[in-house]
Parts: sequence; C-alpha cells; structure tokens
Amino acid sequence: MNSATEPRNFAEVALYLARLWRQEGTLRFLAIALNLGREKSLAGEMWKYGVVIGLLSFAFVAFMLLTEGGAAFNTSSDGINWGLAVSVYIFFALTSSGLTFIASLSMVFGFREYYSIAKRCIWLAIITLGAGFAVLALELGHPFRMLWAMPAGMQYLSPMFWMGVFYLIDLVLLLIKFDRLWHDDWDSPLSHFLSIASFVAVVLASGMLGLVFGSMVMRPMWYGSFTAVYFILTAALSGAATIVLATYMAYGYRHENMPEPLRSMASGKALPKVFATLSGIALFAVVTRLWTGLWSNLDGLEGFHALVRSPAFHVEVWAGLALPFALMIAPALQRRARWQITAGALVLLGMFIDRYQFLVTGQAVPMFKGAWASGLVEYAPSVTEWMMAVLGFAIVFACYGLGEKLFNLAGDPRHRLREGAEPKPAYAETGARAD
Amino acid sequence: MTKWGMVIDLEKCTGCQACTAACAMENSRLPGENWQDVIFFTEGEYPSVQLKWFPRPCMHCENPSCVHVCPTGATYRTSDGVVLIDWDKCIGCKYCMIACPYGVRFYTDEKPLVAPDMRKVFGSNDGHSWSPPWRMPDSREDWKRGIGIQPRGVVSKCTFCYHRVSKASKDTADLDPSDPRQREFTPACVVACPPGARYFGDLGNPESEVSKMIADKNGVRLLDQLGNKPQVYYLTGAGAAVPSNRALKRT
Repeated sequence: MNSATEPRNFAEVALYLARLWRQEGTLRFLAIALNLGREKSLAGEMWKYGVVIGLLSFAFVAFMLLTEGGAAFNTSSDGINWGLAVSVYIFFALTSSGLTFIASLSMVFGFREYYSIAKRCIWLAIITLGAGFAVLALELGHPFRMLWAMPAGMQYLSPMFWMGVFYLIDLVLLLIKFDRLWHDDWDSPLSHFLSIASFVAVVLASGMLGLVFGSMVMRPMWYGSFTAVYFILTAALSGAATIVLATYMAYGYRHENMPEPLRSMASGKALPKVFATLSGIALFAVVTRLWTGLWSNLDGLEGFHALVRSPAFHVEVWAGLALPFALMIAPALQRRARWQITAGALVLLGMFIDRYQFLVTGQAVPMFKGAWASGLVEYAPSVTEWMMAVLGFAIVFACYGLGEKLFNLAGDPRHRLREGAEPKPAYAETGARAD
Repeated sequence: MTKWGMVIDLEKCTGCQACTAACAMENSRLPGENWQDVIFFTEGEYPSVQLKWFPRPCMHCENPSCVHVCPTGATYRTSDGVVLIDWDKCIGCKYCMIACPYGVRFYTDEKPLVAPDMRKVFGSNDGHSWSPPWRMPDSREDWKRGIGIQPRGVVSKCTFCYHRVSKASKDTADLDPSDPRQREFTPACVVACPPGARYFGDLGNPESEVSKMIADKNGVRLLDQLGNKPQVYYLTGAGAAVPSNRALKRT
C-alpha cells in the first residue's frame, strides 16, 4: 500500500497530474484519479469510497441546510443547544491532539522506537482536525463571519476564542511540520523547534477545548479544571487507538507486512504498554467523574443519573474502555494483531460515545425553562446531524487514502540508513507472535 | 452613569402573560420565542399541589457570563448596563446560550417552538429570518443592538426595549408608565403589566424608586450564587418566592 516514490512538493504533484491527464484523456484520468492509480489498492479504495460517501453526505447536508437551515437539526433553545455535530468536532479535534501527543513521543521526548509512526501520526492529526473543522463549520450559523469577527473581536476572556487561536496555531504547525518531514528533515533545529512548539500548542488547544466546558459554573456536570485534564488524557487515548488502527490498515492488518522497526514495536511490549496505560487512565477518569457526579446532591448533576441509565454509556465503559484495558494487559493477547486492532476499534467507539454523552448530558438539566421542560431534556440527533458525522469520517478516510498514496507515511529518520547498516529494532522480542 | 434595572413584584404578578404578549408585539417575536417569558411550574404533590408562575426577562447581568464567553464580542454590555447582541458579528456558535444560567436566549435557526412555522408562512426576501405583517417599523430596527427581526443564524434575546429606553432623558431616575412623558421610553412589558407588578429605573441612583424598593422590600436576584449579578430584582414579600432553583422534578 505504501508508495514507492514520493513527490517532493505540490508543484511536482500538479505537473504529474497534468501530464497524466494529457496522456490518458479525461475519462480514464478521472477513473485513475478515483482509484488513485491504474491498479486497485487499499489506499485507492479508501479514497474512492471516502470521496463518494463524502460527496453524497455533503450534498445531503447542504440540501438540508439550504432548504431547512438549522431546523434540520434536533437541537433547540429550550433543550440541547449543542448536539451531535459539536460532539463530532470534539471527537476529531481531540483525536488530532492525541495523534500529536503520540508523534511527540519520538519527536519531543526521544522515544526513538516511535519514530516509525510519527509521520503517519502527523498526517492523521492534520486530516482529523480538518474533518472536525469542516463539521463545526456546517454547524455554525455564520462560519465565514467567524474568520474576521474572531480576530477583530479579540475576546481574550472567552475560552472559545483561545480554543480557536490554539487549534489554528496547532494546524499551521502540523502543516509546516509535515512539510519538513516530507522533505526528510527530521532533526534540523527548525524541525526540533516545530516539534516542541507543536506539542505545546496541542496541550494548550486540547486543554482549552476542555475549558470551554470546564469554565461553565452554571453547568455543574462540566465545571472544573479537571475537564481540561480529562480532555487531554482521553485525547491521548483516542490518538493512540487511531494510529494503531491506521497503521494496521496500512499493512493489511498483519505484523508480517510491517517493516522491521515497526513490527518490533507492534509485536513487542511497547504498543500494548502505552495502550493499556492510556485506557486505564481514561477508565479511572470516567469512573471518578461518575462517582462525584452520582454522590453529590448539587442541583444540575442529575444528568449523571441519566448517564448510568443510558445503554450507550455502558457500552463506552465496559466495551470501549474496560475490555480494551483487559486485552492490553493480558500477556496472552496483548501482542497479537487481532486483539490490538479490536482494542483500537473499541476504544474509538468508546471515545465517540464519550464525547457525545459528555456534551449532551451536560446540557440535559434545563435552565429555567418552566413546566414544559421540568424533567431532563430529551435529545436524539436528526438524520442531517448523523450525515454530518458520516461526512467527517468520509473526509478522514479519503484523505488518509490519499496521504498513504502520495506520501511515504511510513517515513522514518532511520530509512536514510538503509543503504548502510540496518538500525537495531527497539524491541527484539523476535519470538513475539504475529497473527 | 445610568444603570438600568427592573424590579418585579411577585406578590402582584398574576401570571397573565400580558408582558409576554406585549414584548412579542413590540419586538416582532416568533410564537414561542418569548424574550419575556412567564414560567409555569408546579410544586408539591396532590392534594397539596400548587401551580406557580415566574416572570423571567433577560437579567441584564452586571457580570454577564454570556458576554465573557462570546468569541467575537457580538454580545456586549452598554455603558448604561444593558446586555445586547450585535447581529452583524454573531456567528451563531450558541456558546452564550450554554453560558446563560437563566436560559433567556434563542437561536433563530431551529425547529419552530410553536407550529405552524411562521417563518415559512411569512417568509422574508430581505435578509430577515421572517417578515410578519405586524413587524416593527424599519426605522426602529437596529441589528447592531439586536433590535427588530433578526437575520438567520444568530442568537436573540430581550433588549430591555433598548430602542425605547435609550431615548429617555439621561438623568431619569425611574421610567414610570403612568407618567405620559415617560411612557414611550418605558419597556413594553412594564407598560403592559395590568397589575403594575413591574418597575423600571436607574439602579445606580439611590433615590430611584427601584433602588428604594430593593432596599425596603428585600429585593432578591435569581441564582445569585453564580455571581452574574442580575439587574432584575424580585420582591417576594410574604406570599411569593423565587423558585429555589431550576424547578426540576427529581427523577
């Protein structure tokens, strides 16, 4: 699935595409472009289905927004103000942040065994953040006005203003960083600076996203600095799950297909160790938050009781966190590809549910809405809202396929040594089973 | 500097909702989009159940969380203490609705609160979200202050009838609807209130009637523990009370 040659810049890509178009004619060129090549590949399939599903879902959402406007959503002023679309944005934004954290393991903290997934992490961080922004833009009343009104307003007291600032800085740094890696610059002073700056920016961005909710004293289910920490910790988990799934996807879900440093990492203890630690921490955070919520009599925390009664919450806790944690600490299972992939998929499902539940139950206690809203607010996303979620995932799939084809996402500073001595694998558990 | 505020005497309020109707007519509100709402709720259980009501405009807080969270500065507080929205700057992110403890804000683009959808019955071609036949004169409309019929994709709320109040003489202590010279500057809900349960004046002037009433009759503010410092005070006397909190039926 990995590309043999990598274009050096976008001009080369454009020139190549123009030449191909001239040679093949429009129809054949479109067919090649949709398949990302003359022959079928997993990257091509991801791109093709991502583009088709993305265009269909976008067409549906655009039609509904143009004909119905925000009435196509099931959000309401006397109920849930922020619905599924915002939770999808949080999911993607935090996944992006988590991917940057994972990339930082090698690029900032010097854990060299993680170099082999760093470039893939950065690319995935860019496209998940892009998908999050796209979904959020469709949810906002005036997304284009935001582009000038936020810098012009300079509302330094608003957590949302700072969230926007830090995520914008994060995106710009990720793009520059990826450009540097594209040009094989892994260890210049500029590249090091970008890695550190990017790590700082993403801590601030994900923490600030937490404070968008954590600052709301009138919404007790969200209130407190713990929310920022909770977002950072769970971001790292969803980033880890995403890179596990994406890496396995790139190598046909088999350890044997992986190049050596990566194979050692996946079939050794490094990956399960990180995964188990992060899912354990997330599980602890979810349970302690639930404990204080259920224990306290404070008005406004009734949403926690609704949370416990929700089947989706139990899927999140048991299947999305506890089971992956158990899989990743079980010596017999933790190194097997099948169970690592299962754990990754379950964690992502769990985190998707977590963002949604966090957002919706936090608004479930109505604020002075009178007799017609005296219980907890009911909310179920509309078809349009679900299609926005589909659009987000389609963007990620399409762009991941494209990146896999265009860029050498398996790039590693050590690949420059291939002509000479092969570097030692980080973990030499050669007996580890790869199924 | 003037600091406009309101006092609502709950012992006088009959829950007739004339304030809601007057506000809707004055400000061309969509049915259900009640900037000035009267909340009805029950307390106790049969046979000791009581139907209660509670009038609730925007609190125009001294320390408004909606203003602090707004990422663009679209929501702001005027020098005379009124919280307004600039519809030309609002991006429709709804963060202010999340941050308002009193639930007084409305997003324009959502399913109609009351059927049929009047936005479709009286559609607009000129940038307004709808165009009812009884709309406010264009000369009074002011999108920079959130006055009039809003465009699509923005948040709206009570303005204390700023198009009336802001034209009052600067040294006015109280806007009394029974005084013909002040009536047209007084908020519509205060003018329309049949039992005269609403009072409007300068909270910064200790000689104003509203200041005296708050002092003499122990005016209270809603959810004071949150620190927003509302500029709407309630007089509860012996026979009325503000809801202790969110009127939520325990589940």
